[in-house]
Amino acid sequence: MLYAMNDGFSQMTAERSEGHKVSTNIRIRNRNCYGIGRDTFLSKRGVAMSQSAASAETKRLAISLTGFRPGTSPEALVKALQSIFPRKTAEQIRAALARLPLLLTRSATEEQARKLKSFLESKGAILKLATSAASAGQAPPVSAARPPSAAPVVPSRSGVVEAAAAPKSDQPYTGIERRAKPRIHPGIGIHPMGIGEILDRSFRLLRQHFLLFFFIILIPQGTFFAFNKGSQIFLTGGVEQSMTAGMGIGLMVSAILAVLIMMILQFWAQGALIHAVSETYLGHATSLATSYGAMRSRLGRLLGTMFLMGILIFLVPALLGIAMAIAVPILNVMGFGDGTKFILSLLLVLAAIVWFFHLFLNWLLVDKVVVLEDKGWGRALRRSKELMNTRTEQGFWKRPKNKAGLILLLGFLIGVGIHLLFQVPGLLTHMFLPMKFIKLTMTLQQVLNVIATSLATVFTAIAMILFYYDIRLRSEGFDLKAMAEHL
Amino acid sequence: METAKETLKIQTPEHVGFRYVLAGLGTRSTAFLLDTIVRGLFILFIFLAVVLLARWLPQFDPTGIFAAIPKTWFFALGVLAYGVVDLGYFLIFEALWSGQTPGKRMQNLRVIKVNGRPIGWLESSIRNILRAVDILLGFYPLGLFVMFLSSRSQRIGDYAAGTVVILERRRKVPMDKTRLRTTSKLNLPELELHVSTLEPKQYQVIRSFLQRRQAMNAAHRREVALLLTSRLIKKWGISFGGDISDESFLEEIVGIYERIRKAI
Repeated sequence: MLYAMNDGFSQMTAERSEGHKVSTNIRIRNRNCYGIGRDTFLSKRGVAMSQSAASAETKRLAISLTGFRPGTSPEALVKALQSIFPRKTAEQIRAALARLPLLLTRSATEEQARKLKSFLESKGAILKLATSAASAGQAPPVSAARPPSAAPVVPSRSGVVEAAAAPKSDQPYTGIERRAKPRIHPGIGIHPMGIGEILDRSFRLLRQHFLLFFFIILIPQGTFFAFNKGSQIFLTGGVEQSMTAGMGIGLMVSAILAVLIMMILQFWAQGALIHAVSETYLGHATSLATSYGAMRSRLGRLLGTMFLMGILIFLVPALLGIAMAIAVPILNVMGFGDGTKFILSLLLVLAAIVWFFHLFLNWLLVDKVVVLEDKGWGRALRRSKELMNTRTEQGFWKRPKNKAGLILLLGFLIGVGIHLLFQVPGLLTHMFLPMKFIKLTMTLQQVLNVIATSLATVFTAIAMILFYYDIRLRSEGFDLKAMAEHL
Repeated sequence: METAKETLKIQTPEHVGFRYVLAGLGTRSTAFLLDTIVRGLFILFIFLAVVLLARWLPQFDPTGIFAAIPKTWFFALGVLAYGVVDLGYFLIFEALWSGQTPGKRMQNLRVIKVNGRPIGWLESSIRNILRAVDILLGFYPLGLFVMFLSSRSQRIGDYAAGTVVILERRRKVPMDKTRLRTTSKLNLPELELHVSTLEPKQYQVIRSFLQRRQAMNAAHRREVALLLTSRLIKKWGISFGGDISDESFLEEIVGIYERIRKAI
């Protein structure tokens, strides 16, 4: 049965199976959802329905599911809800239904609400409709716990209208948030920035959320350090002794294991940092657990995309190396001198370096795209390239690639300063303490090195995340969209 | 909540308040990098001058005075000039240019006293002599650490001299390429009345869009224009014909607003 709604402005369609295939759908996007947490199910979603911007002018309604009519089949209702919320599993919907009332949306037009109501009531649901402003009072406990969201309606790129920019409560949430359309906290001031300002703001963000960012990055570094130290002590018993064959193999295996763990943790931390910086930059609250938690389901995609990127970046230099290895004997046979071979090698090395930097800069934003836009693999690489080649300002030094290069250079110099700050105390203790404390001073140096690396990494990483947002601000003007909501 | 800028508030004895935007690590590092390049050029010039003087000057001197001077004296002069540039670059520029160096000027930065007054030779000397401590071992490790802890982003030299580095407002009003020449296609007599109710913040949003639209992606540009227009139409309860685009409508509004403001 076709369940299509089209009033010229709005079109809400439902995909239902009643014995035969039904086209179109009522689709609720979870772009604004706060995840799959206990108290947040469906509560912050907007109804994403194809409609023109003109429908933004119509009255918005909140729809809550308050109960079932006697004799209703819960499974039929679960199935119906699943067709509206395709990203939810049946278990999640069942769990949500066990805790009624349930706010389905707070931004439906009258027409959409009417059709959604008739659809769900045919399945035995009892629904309650209220105007969006009033919905806070009448909403189920879920929404009562939060301040009422304005959930303004904006036309998206494709003309789809959806709820956006709903300010998030200060309560940390669980799960993944989509950042394809960044939600800016109403009070936050974001605007396009120059290189200096990006670094200024990175420094300020680091200062304001120091422990959060620092610990996010310290976790993999610290774990790697502890694992290395632990395996050394475990294998050697913590005493100086000459290396046996068994011990060497053991150390090698443990080192490979440590590197693997380190890589996974490192990318996890990288994603968590991107999430945390993004949240705080847009004016939302977050925590260590939330940031790591938000990355759980994307870790595989991030790892895969980063590996793909690494392979592609090093593929060309490797191929050039192979070409050189083939060319040299051929040139020898053909009687070319050392000068020709040297020039050819130099050209190939230069080509490899240029190609490396070209690809590296094109794909500099891949990790941000994976985490914040939920794109992976080839799509993430293409998106990063698109962003890095966006011309939003006039002038050579204002090209994204050049700006990124300068930010990395300044970040590197600041990183050197940070390293010096932490290395000098270690070196001094090493120089002035007697030799019997050698183990202590070495460990101290290593610990300080881990801290310095974490700090330097964090600073440059924050700057690059802000740089990513800056490009998007300039080309997409999402700050303008957020401000326009409050006109 | 993270704020866009850190500011320094100064209250004069007459109870007039000033607000300065404090420069952070990024803008200061960029200015320092630019100053390092300028200093490098100075030093290169000194090096070339010393080499040329030591080598060529005696040959073109008919009196033979310069030929009598040992070459080491030229190099000593070069070392002295290098010292003046290295130590005096910041000190002299900041004292003479009222808290600015070429790098700071390019970044719109200025060193001022914490009470808002311009710095003099004393403050410039203190903060730049102590630069040697901040920059200890190169790359400002101590300076970074102290700035990180300081609410006003001051390094040791700044604390000792009682100075802060601020971000100056741009002197030039950016000439807008989207300067509007409205053709008044709209025939809405009540529009002027509606525009007069527009708050400065709301005007700024529309203006920002018009200023930034050239750099925006076409789809997003259309989207923002549509959003702004629909919001205003809804707010004012007006309607207009289809022969005018959203951006033209917004241009018209900004034009009217600016005309009203000018009249006031």
